[in-house]
Amino acid sequence: MTLNLCVLTPNRSIWNSEVKEIILSTNSGQIGVLPNHAPTATAVDIGILRIRLNDQWLTLALMGGFARIGNNEITILVNDAERGSDIDPQEAQQTLEIAEANLRKAEGKRQKIEANLALRRARTRVEASNTISS
Amino acid sequence: MACSLSFSSSVSTFHLPTTTQSTQAPPNNATTLPTTNPIQCANLRELRDRIGSVKNTQKITEAMKLVAAAKVRRAQEAVVNGRPFSETLVEVLYNMNEQLQTEDVDVPLTKIRTVKKVALMVVTGDRGLCGGFNNMLLKKAESRIAELKKLGVDYTIISIGKKGNTYFIRRPEIPVDRYFDGTNLPTAKEAQAIADDVFSLFVSEEVDKVEMLYTKFVSLVKSDPVIHTLLPLSPKGEICDINGKCVDAAEDELFRLTTKEGKLTVERDMIKTETPAFSPILEFEQDPAQILDALLPLYLNSQILRALQESLASELAARMTAMSNATDNANELKKTLSINYNRARQAKITGEILEIVAGANACV
Repeated sequence: MTLNLCVLTPNRSIWNSEVKEIILSTNSGQIGVLPNHAPTATAVDIGILRIRLNDQWLTLALMGGFARIGNNEITILVNDAERGSDIDPQEAQQTLEIAEANLRKAEGKRQKIEANLALRRARTRVEASNTISS
Repeated sequence: MACSLSFSSSVSTFHLPTTTQSTQAPPNNATTLPTTNPIQCANLRELRDRIGSVKNTQKITEAMKLVAAAKVRRAQEAVVNGRPFSETLVEVLYNMNEQLQTEDVDVPLTKIRTVKKVALMVVTGDRGLCGGFNNMLLKKAESRIAELKKLGVDYTIISIGKKGNTYFIRRPEIPVDRYFDGTNLPTAKEAQAIADDVFSLFVSEEVDKVEMLYTKFVSLVKSDPVIHTLLPLSPKGEICDINGKCVDAAEDELFRLTTKEGKLTVERDMIKTETPAFSPILEFEQDPAQILDALLPLYLNSQILRALQESLASELAARMTAMSNATDNANELKKTLSINYNRARQAKITGEILEIVAGANACV
């Protein structure tokens, strides 16, 4: 059986082809999906998605969303997604540092919420860019 | 002899460096003729210069019109690219609701609180020369502000687009939460930035309602400034205007620019998204409320993106209309000027012939 993965963002579809296996970061931890997985609906956290194509692992940074698995079809809806190979590690690292500084400075509930979101996005991007080089 | 420059204001607003001098009559002989015709120029050179300036202006307006038309196409492509996402989203949201109908879900984005403060999201364009597009929306915003004031509800503005930004900066009495610059083509990133702002405003309970003011694209010649309630979201995936009239998100409209008999026209397709039943054995990895919590921000984003795209399409359409009118006006002006020019030229030639004949007669 083959597994079909479809990653959609509001702008375009990032990925639409067959894969062997994926590892998805959900709100309740990572789950691995192999062909013939039970139908599942899950919220996707801000985190990385690892895709196995034959023997090669690819990384995608996902910015939070939703996934539906069923009938060997995986549909992932996310706000934004980036391929790990497209992210500049240095730039990502810098953004992370800025985000960390912003969180320390943040005052009040609202700013904290915003800074936290930004920090988690930045961290994910760094992670995604690092897995490529390692 | 001087020109009575009744048309000069409409031409000189473009301030073309090569043409502005021509519309200013030299001040030396200020005796004007009692005019019946608005363009009463006798000076041939002046007339010729003005014809040239009008021609230049017409070329510019014509080009702007074509550029706007090309951009409408691009905007429409962006909408088409986003379709798979919005379709799947609506489908999932619909199914989720079916399953959650019986349960009592509590999601922050759908929580209805007593309204003490409202955030108004005002979407304007970045550039002018598009007729009344920006003004109409800002007027609508003003009237909504007045309404809110009357109700005794506090408000704050989130301004998107340069035109709106300058408008609100000039009016310090209107509280503005944040300014966003518009872009040539709205992307998910911009929508995300705005959504983050709106989200944090709402979740931190600084505001109790978020309304979105934007221009809905109806056709190339018609667009309506509308007000939609963005937050709190109704968990059914509906979006409501202030009168409580709800539009189901499943009925998605798509505008399409086509050419019909050499003219640009717009078709609007109504697409009813098919909502196939979910497999009943679907497992929820998390609490259903949590899943809804993940879905609704996505929905919020796509709504904002949609509004930005519609607004952009309306702006471009408005610019196209305005520029096509300007081109027509320039054509008409050019025609009148040419007639005057030819008349003056002929009068001059006739005068010269008369002079020669008279001179010849005198010699005999």
